[in-house]
Amino acid sequence: MTTTTTAHLATHPAAEMYAREYKTGQLSRREFLVRSTALGLSAAAAYSLIGLSPAMAQRATPAKGGTLRIQMGILALKDPRTYDWSEMGNVSRGLVEYLIEYNRDGTFSGVLLEGWEANADATQYTLRLRPGVTWNNGDAFTAADVAANFAAWCDTTVEGNSMAARMGGLVDADTGQARAGGIVVVDDLTVQINLPAPDITLVPGMADYPAAIMHRDLIGTNPLDHGVGTGAYRFTDYQVGISARLERNPDHSYWGDAYLDEVVFVDLGTDPAAWFAGAEAGEFDMTYQTVGEFVDLFSAVGWDRSDVTTGATVVVRPNQLNAPYDNVEVRRAILEAVDLSVVLELGMNGQGTVGENHHVCPIHPEYAELPPMVVDKAAAQARLAAAGHADANFTLVSLDDGLTRFTCDAVAAQMRDAGMTVTREVLPGSTFWNDWLNYPFSATEWNHRELGVQILNLAYRSGVAWNETAFANAEFDSLLDQANGIQDANARREVMARLQRIMQEEAVTIVPYWRSLFRHYRPGVVNADMHPKFEINIHHLGLSA
Amino acid sequence: MAFFILRRIGVMALTALCLTFVVFFLTNLAPNLEKLAKTQGNARMSDAEVVSWLDRNGYGGPLVVRYGEWLGVVPGWLREDPITGEWRGRCLARGQDPAEAARFCGLLQGDLGYSTVSATEVSSIIGGRLQLTGILMFWAFAVMVPSALLVGVLAGMREGSRTDRTLSTFSIASTATPEYVSGVIFIVLLASSQIGISPLLVEWGWLEGGTLFFGSARSAMDGVTFWNFTLPVMTIALYGMGYIARMTRASMAEVMMAQYIRTARLKGVKFSNIVMKHALRNALIAPFTVIMLQFPWLLNGVVIVETLFNYKGFGWTLVQAASNNDIELLLACSIVAVFVVLVTQLMSDIGYVFLNPRIRIS
Repeated sequence: MTTTTTAHLATHPAAEMYAREYKTGQLSRREFLVRSTALGLSAAAAYSLIGLSPAMAQRATPAKGGTLRIQMGILALKDPRTYDWSEMGNVSRGLVEYLIEYNRDGTFSGVLLEGWEANADATQYTLRLRPGVTWNNGDAFTAADVAANFAAWCDTTVEGNSMAARMGGLVDADTGQARAGGIVVVDDLTVQINLPAPDITLVPGMADYPAAIMHRDLIGTNPLDHGVGTGAYRFTDYQVGISARLERNPDHSYWGDAYLDEVVFVDLGTDPAAWFAGAEAGEFDMTYQTVGEFVDLFSAVGWDRSDVTTGATVVVRPNQLNAPYDNVEVRRAILEAVDLSVVLELGMNGQGTVGENHHVCPIHPEYAELPPMVVDKAAAQARLAAAGHADANFTLVSLDDGLTRFTCDAVAAQMRDAGMTVTREVLPGSTFWNDWLNYPFSATEWNHRELGVQILNLAYRSGVAWNETAFANAEFDSLLDQANGIQDANARREVMARLQRIMQEEAVTIVPYWRSLFRHYRPGVVNADMHPKFEINIHHLGLSA
Repeated sequence: MAFFILRRIGVMALTALCLTFVVFFLTNLAPNLEKLAKTQGNARMSDAEVVSWLDRNGYGGPLVVRYGEWLGVVPGWLREDPITGEWRGRCLARGQDPAEAARFCGLLQGDLGYSTVSATEVSSIIGGRLQLTGILMFWAFAVMVPSALLVGVLAGMREGSRTDRTLSTFSIASTATPEYVSGVIFIVLLASSQIGISPLLVEWGWLEGGTLFFGSARSAMDGVTFWNFTLPVMTIALYGMGYIARMTRASMAEVMMAQYIRTARLKGVKFSNIVMKHALRNALIAPFTVIMLQFPWLLNGVVIVETLFNYKGFGWTLVQAASNNDIELLLACSIVAVFVVLVTQLMSDIGYVFLNPRIRIS
């Protein structure tokens, strides 16, 4: 990929403020990079502000040609803005690309954008499109495409459109559509986004997997149905649960570099033991992720390991629309009964750090340290009895895979130790995924997000598409609005401390651990490093010469 | 003969009808439909919403009528969505004008319905999967039948001899080991680079890293090789082989006791000639039936083996359809299973007549 650094800002007043914070130790290097590149600085400029040479992971240049096989679940594709699994983004990323890409080292770089700038208070973003990009049907990629996609992302009437939550203030709450004057086409290659309030999460939102850019006339369609995109690849085969095959599109001149001739995604089910058997049988060259004990096993058979520490986790959450979980005392009793360090040990072999039952990770910039939660099994049972639910039967639903199943088993065992009655229900992949939002008590994998406020906006604000806990709290919502507008990490941390405490006090969910993520690939596969958000961009992948 | 075949085909159609009705009845029980509504729609639906969802999506009418729709003898359901005003129906593609669509679209019209999990037509799924399973079954039979007959005949030639005892022990052991045990043992012994035989071979320099055989047969879907297909084929073949060998041995032993064999021996005919020319044909009548009856059993075996070795054929599809409550895919699988069982039964009956002139049909 060619990254043009000249199109980025050299500096920005807010970025200089971040640089001062970094130098006084108030910001981590990752946080500094996330925020300054989100404002439109190139990674090189960001590094130079804090006096470092750009030590960012330069991608190697692989050889041209070859076929790569990737082990990953293949789900039924749909309208990209309603994607709910990163696998969907990965499989279609070779065809429909994104404006911006989040990199392993915490920086953002342009894909279909050449560059972007934010004004001083982050209420106005100017997006400059990469010139010379064409759709594979011959049309030119223009500002009209970008504006049409922004409008589509803001459409809250589309069932399951999670992009609306990422667009935040750009959505007009009254009409459920994009705010008038919010999206302005300046010229063929420039789009301006005007927000009513400062929003620092817009750029990370544009880099997330449901934000694939569709052709302006094909919004709301399944990319598989028409095969129109800007990417270098096209689908030759797609079978849910089995495999997906993409080949380099010979009829399309791609704007960047793509190395592989063919990429095959192979679905070997959800059992990691089957993945390992497949690896030993030479069925694929790279895993989507490697979990649990299989991390060591894959390394033992000579595959290269790549890991990254993230804010990814599994939440074991009650849904507050279902009795008895509508009773806060019941939820508190469950949280009080579960020792999270045991869940970390049993659920994922200790490959991570212990969580704190709120969804802000220590590596997030605005994380505030709270006093540790008390685990007291006797008190938990007493609390449950006092709430009148001593004989309640809790049914804990999970996916039939390695990670969430073992995590739920560990949680269920801890609850049983405290004298509660727990039934475990394990569902196969397709059934579970159809309905992950609505189970009364179940576990869901959450991916890493760049900023702590992002997940709170996506999953815990009242009534948003992915609010699987059915948590609705006016104080929480207004504090969150406040936090979204605070650029300064320390100032935001004070609000975050209150948000985190509300999550703990209201016993919204069990957040048992923060995961380290692992991926393995055969020696000779290039640029296949694990990504904190599980992203695979097949344009970067290749085989060493 | 023609009348016999016609009658058998009639019986087959009747059996298929009854069996599919049973499957249809079971998959359309109220709790199963409720589960379907909640997985396809929304898990928080109230009972009234479940009823309206089922009604809107064509699961509302009486069971017999819906079975008729699926068969294609009752016109497919058609209704206008009260909210969007869009016409929806069993025979309607999305956005199609109801006037243009066919009235009937069921099994008789060759329409197998829609798979809810894969979001495609069942007919486009099932053909390819059957082909894959056909390949697996072909190789399993190609290994199983000759070796089973050989073992059975060798064992039955001289009942009670050391050869007989050894081969019988082997056959009993192999048929007493279910596929899910033998498959796992095979993987551990032959397809792991950490334990079993492969690390030894690597140590001795006979193998360049990796494993002797493959413990996953996914690549066999693209092209069968000795290394990726041996284990699944052996797992299926071994189980059936012991059983057929035991039957062949019993039949062979019985024939070897017959008067005409004794007469031949007294006349001084060579032992090998007795076995090859006099005993074999008579001894193979019983195993032929057993071999034909192995087809239905093999369908059982492929379910386990395909899941174990990640070979995505008919058995794997059946498991996925059942575990995901994919009603029409499951029904299509049942049809295929019924067809395979009854056709092999028919073949076995007809073949029996040719092998044994004492049996007369009609």
